[in-house]
Amino acid sequence: MAGIQINNLSKFYGSKEGGAAVSGLNLDIKDNQFVTLLGPSGCGKTTTLRLIAGYVTPDAGTIRVGDRVVSSADAVAPPDKRGMGMVFQNYAVWPHKTVFENVVFGLKLRKVPAVEARRKVLDTLAMVNLAGLENRLPNELSGGQQQRVALARSLVVEPGILLLDEPLSNLDAKLREKMRVELKQLQRRTGITFVYVTHDQAEALALSDQIAVMHGGELQQYGSPDDVYRRPANKIVADFMGIVNFLPGTVEPASGAAAGGLVVAVDGVPVPAPVHGTFAPGQPVDLAVRPESVRLAGYGGEGRGAEAGRLSAVVTDMTYLGNLVEYWLQLDSGTALRAQTHPLERFSIGDRVGLSIDAADCSVFPRAAGAAH
Amino acid sequence: MALLTLAPPSRAPALPRWLGLEGLVIGGAILALIVLVVLPVLSLVAASVWDKGLTGGFFVSALGSTANLRALGNSLILGAWTGLLSIAIGVPLAWAVSRTNVPAKGLIQLTATLSYLSPPFLTAIAFVNLFSPNAGVANVFLREVVGIDLGFNIFTMSGLVFVTVLHTFPFVYLLASSALQSVDASYEEAAQILGASKLRTALTITLPLVAPAVLSGTLLAFVNAIALFGSQAIIGLPGRIVTLPTRIYALFDYPPQYGVASALSLLFIAITVIALYLQRAFLARRSYVTLAGKGARPQLMDLGPWRWVLFAACVVAFFIAILLPYGTLIAVSFSKSWGLGFWQNLTLENYRFILVDYDVTRRAILNSLMLATIAATVCVVLGTVISWIDIRTRLPGRKLLDYAALIPLGLPGIVMAVALLQFWLKMPVALYGTFAILLLAYVGRYVPLGVRAANSSLRQIDPSLEEAAQILGASWGTRMKEITLPLIRPGLFAGWLLVFVPVIQELSASILLFSSESITLAVAVYNLYETGYTEPVAALAIVNMIIIAVAIGIARQFGGSRIGLKTGS
Repeated sequence: MAGIQINNLSKFYGSKEGGAAVSGLNLDIKDNQFVTLLGPSGCGKTTTLRLIAGYVTPDAGTIRVGDRVVSSADAVAPPDKRGMGMVFQNYAVWPHKTVFENVVFGLKLRKVPAVEARRKVLDTLAMVNLAGLENRLPNELSGGQQQRVALARSLVVEPGILLLDEPLSNLDAKLREKMRVELKQLQRRTGITFVYVTHDQAEALALSDQIAVMHGGELQQYGSPDDVYRRPANKIVADFMGIVNFLPGTVEPASGAAAGGLVVAVDGVPVPAPVHGTFAPGQPVDLAVRPESVRLAGYGGEGRGAEAGRLSAVVTDMTYLGNLVEYWLQLDSGTALRAQTHPLERFSIGDRVGLSIDAADCSVFPRAAGAAH
Repeated sequence: MALLTLAPPSRAPALPRWLGLEGLVIGGAILALIVLVVLPVLSLVAASVWDKGLTGGFFVSALGSTANLRALGNSLILGAWTGLLSIAIGVPLAWAVSRTNVPAKGLIQLTATLSYLSPPFLTAIAFVNLFSPNAGVANVFLREVVGIDLGFNIFTMSGLVFVTVLHTFPFVYLLASSALQSVDASYEEAAQILGASKLRTALTITLPLVAPAVLSGTLLAFVNAIALFGSQAIIGLPGRIVTLPTRIYALFDYPPQYGVASALSLLFIAITVIALYLQRAFLARRSYVTLAGKGARPQLMDLGPWRWVLFAACVVAFFIAILLPYGTLIAVSFSKSWGLGFWQNLTLENYRFILVDYDVTRRAILNSLMLATIAATVCVVLGTVISWIDIRTRLPGRKLLDYAALIPLGLPGIVMAVALLQFWLKMPVALYGTFAILLLAYVGRYVPLGVRAANSSLRQIDPSLEEAAQILGASWGTRMKEITLPLIRPGLFAGWLLVFVPVIQELSASILLFSSESITLAVAVYNLYETGYTEPVAALAIVNMIIIAVAIGIARQFGGSRIGLKTGS
């Protein structure tokens, strides 16, 4: 079993000035963890995975596994000498080999005696719920079954590290849910270090011990699912991790460390917020608020929000989603925002509602140009 | 089970462990391509401008003599007529098969495939047996039995065009029918829903969509037509119609004029390359518009009673292109002496002569079998490595390699032979007249077919299939053996066949390179024909076709069900 240390890793495509697929990446993946590389397409997550696997040579930086350097700009251990496992997005199950032949391939290369190899293959197939299908050809299997063959093929050789490249993206929603649970259990049971690539933030939140959020080839944040969701390091992360409202405001002069927090005036109404970073009084900021952190209440009718010391908005649209209702709201200043509430609380389009925001679950980011980076 | 070892530092990250099996194979393929193609072509260029100093004299005499200019003109006339007539035959047939309810579509497909496979010099010989002015059986029959002398003369430009078109119309047919089938029906339906009539739709929507494919097929027909030495020698020379291949061949008569031959060869290359360049340009444009993917299949037009008229035309095409020449050859091969009174005349003597008694034809058959087997195998192996480099590696200059492998497409057979002669005569190794130089010519000429077959197969194999084996610890050799080669095997067998068939009947290059020891099947046919052995020639031609049929059967057997004849060339 092994952890992975990535130091200052860079990979450029085309001209060095132009495309950096990955730039200056530092990542410490601990042994036995389920780590997800998360980001939109083109963020460098797949390149990072392929760098870890050894298919791609870095232009700068190093990758260590345990205490050995496996990749650097001038020496790369080829994938076949790394002893890792990898599950591909398209499964890459060899169509001309049976399920058994697919899975036994790695054991044959390791010269495992036939009897033992057979037992291991059958055990592994049972573990991924494919018992009895060992003589099928891949084209006789469903997508989910092929995915399990790919998993079994990687697991049977007991790798210290398993790399997974969007393994669930080709499955339908129900099956994806099911495989998600199975993957998590498998990782716990085997203790293999999983490095998982996905663009689906819900998948990342559900599966991971740690999430590395990437954007534009750079690491934006590396932390637990709770960290990246509730305490995003910047607006990019906040935006990528789910629906978020950015409410423009200014830092109130009175706010300070004494209160244990910051007070931001939104629409002239003071809203408490947690501190991370330093802010000067009067500085323009964006308050990032998740839709589920917005609470709605009926509004008495005692005039505009600012006068009453309370945020208020008008319902402009609503969508019924079954387990919750999503409201499109417009603050008095014109700022639009989304809120999600329990379906028992019902408002109608045109209603004026009072808003309160959960201080613990929002974040403050500077609004100056370039602040996002 | 972490097997972590560090590779030795390497200066070229694109080619790690370049001394391993992978490196050796890649290096070997590059070297082979240079020796096979690049150096001979360069020496051809050198020979055309170098005579103890830089000179333009060879080009002056190449373009200054009336004989050469007439050859050039004849080749262009032949190519132009062949191209036009290929459209006239190929497009209606393609339309009938892909867009109408004409019966017996299989017959049309068969006609096109067999015509494409038939060596044109055999068809030429067959039609000489029928339509030569004096002894041609059709003429004799009309003169002596029917009593009218129509005086058909095959030894004319029309005769040459006729025989050549029978071989080249499949290029237009195949490209046009695949284009017609891939035009998404929704394009036409969209025009019709807007109020366009069927004719208007055909003229304004369908035709522009398939025109690039038709033009591209026509240019292929042109390029192939002007390169055929055999038919141009058999039909053209008795009628004093000299073309570029026969002219270049004549320049090697004593005293050989290497310089002029080289200059003329380069001119020949220029014509071919221009045509092929246009062809690629047209084909590239085609991919913008058609091939929309899984659209609705086009609706077949109900022709009513007219479909029987069209059917009759198709049957006539089959009769003229296949039945007539092969029927003639079979009949001649069983005749004591070709002429009327066929049934009094039957014999197996001709087959005994060529297969048992005459050592030259015996040797020629064995030589050709051996050469074609080796050449096809080498072409496929080389093609696989070259396209693997192109598709799977980041080797600098890999595109250049790919282009180099395409060069032979622009080299007519006789030009390839001239280039090889120029190059190997200057080398210290005596290759002239050996098997080796024939093999070099065949592999050099047909390596593009190997590359293309491997290329289209490899593109269908997702790289992750190889990568999945690699991460499990498989070395390059194991990945090739276990994953890549088994997966592309059907395509490689198809490619093998694609090389084997033309090599068995190769004449254009062989005619300059053979010796009495290394004589090949096609050369033996040509030489026997030249010396007037009409009946054994026919027997040898039939043997030739049997070999091709058997090869197709074997390749199907080994290659799995996916083998079919490739559309296009």
